[in-house]
Amino acid sequence: MWKKLSTVCVPLQITTPTSSLIDPLHSVHSLSTTEYEERVASGIGHPELQHQHAMRAQKRQKFVDCLTAPNVDMAELRKLAWSGIPEELRPISWMILLGYLPLSAATRTAVLSRKREEYANLVQLTFARGIEGLDQQIWHQIEIDVPRTRPGVRLWMERGTQRSLERILYVWAIRHPTSGYVQGINDLVTPFFQVFLGGYIDSEPSLFDPSLLSPTALNALEADCFWCLSRLLDGIQDNYISGQPGIHRSVKHLSGLVGRVDAPLAKHLQSHNVEFMQFAFRWMNCLLMRELSVRNTIRMWDTYLVRPNAFSEFHIYVCCAFLTSWSEKLRQMDFQGIIMFLQSLPTQTWGDHEIEVLLAEAYVLSSVWHNAQSHLLKGT
Amino acid sequence: MSDSNEYDHLFKIVFIGDVRVGKSNLLSQITYDRFNTEYKSTIGVEFATRILNIDGKRLKAQMWDVAGGERYRAITFAYYRNVAGTILVYDISNYSSYKNIPRWLKEIRNNGNSRNRILLLGNKSDLENQREVSREEAKVFAAENGLDFIETSALDGTGVEAAFQWIMTSSYKLLLNDSIH
Repeated sequence: MWKKLSTVCVPLQITTPTSSLIDPLHSVHSLSTTEYEERVASGIGHPELQHQHAMRAQKRQKFVDCLTAPNVDMAELRKLAWSGIPEELRPISWMILLGYLPLSAATRTAVLSRKREEYANLVQLTFARGIEGLDQQIWHQIEIDVPRTRPGVRLWMERGTQRSLERILYVWAIRHPTSGYVQGINDLVTPFFQVFLGGYIDSEPSLFDPSLLSPTALNALEADCFWCLSRLLDGIQDNYISGQPGIHRSVKHLSGLVGRVDAPLAKHLQSHNVEFMQFAFRWMNCLLMRELSVRNTIRMWDTYLVRPNAFSEFHIYVCCAFLTSWSEKLRQMDFQGIIMFLQSLPTQTWGDHEIEVLLAEAYVLSSVWHNAQSHLLKGT
Repeated sequence: MSDSNEYDHLFKIVFIGDVRVGKSNLLSQITYDRFNTEYKSTIGVEFATRILNIDGKRLKAQMWDVAGGERYRAITFAYYRNVAGTILVYDISNYSSYKNIPRWLKEIRNNGNSRNRILLLGNKSDLENQREVSREEAKVFAAENGLDFIETSALDGTGVEAAFQWIMTSSYKLLLNDSIH
């Protein structure tokens, strides 16, 4: 469990100031490629698997080359990340793709320390007068939702994680008074937390007790989650302001799209009085996180983070591909069957492959319909 | 229609009230006889159905569990249309959830139909030692506002079946009454 932490953070601790001891770049330095290849090769005999792993090692090397450049080539990083990011390189890749970390390696550590310090100050200021000093309505809602975030999953039942989550959500909410805290935003923190936590440990993040981390590491992790969540939400704030206009627009867009892409399904839903709002509201509000596992979501975000506005625009194409993938089944169901099916979809066994198929289909849809839309606009 | 559950009458029932008063678990008790300790908050709405036999008739309840979250009001009021019955839920161990009942009531009466039957339901009766809302106070309020009243525990199931039977029976009676006159 502590392997990576001891081999990586300790040497860094000696040579760098404490505040930067958790530079997410450590995962790049921590494992040389030969070491990685050796690890991969051990225990794998099948030539086909070996080939797959060789491909993976090659891809990883490209990532490492890209991420260790003095100036990260964003276009190159986006190209690589589109088809998924190797797990140990995900923390830094996400931070760069989100614009949280600068492309220039020279300024990265300084920026990171500054952002972490800035967040620590925000927390201190916000909670200076204790719980009584908080906006009670917002705090109450957050307090209720935090224990209901990923219930039953060890990491999210731990006190340390829950306190972190409360601070992240509350500080974000008061800094964004037009939306405040909205249920579902809590779900959106979980991929960041698990991915960034994975940068410190070798075991499965969802089973980890974060109190085993040093306070410095935990504070850094929390700060990174806060800033990355903020960046993600910046692009979809319309989803959470009064009246939730972003969601209304997206659901309408989705319904129109399904009408063009899969007219028989759209017609069937309509004839059974199924309204898109009845199921797709949640798909937009929680970015499909209630329909897919955190692991699935993480893979999906590798691709989302590559495209500008993906969480508001590309997401609609993903929802369209998602819905129409069950077209045949849905077209045999009545109102009750459809609603019940859509509120507990059989995605429990989904892995990277299913997500990649979904993303590929969404990509095709977005290219076809985006062009069609501009074509139509030109025609008028 | 490929509906295997034949029924004589369909009633739309909505569950509303503040967050975390136990709406989702009431629904879970009614449909599966089960309490779930690992509930996530409801986003938007969730749906369930159950068939009840009354006087040899098969009555189908189409139940909508409407999220209590403040921000969702813009979409949730759409679910008040054409409802036969409303179950208005508060938590007996949380006075503020009871204090909000008049606001919910106003929302149903402004958006739902006037014939809609409303049951005031004080949930979490198993938390007697943490009670903040007395039975008498709620009873008086219900009477003043023309509501029926019951206390339940979605945890151990007490009163839940009675609440369901009440809302279905009274919706059915109203329907019969309407067809006579």
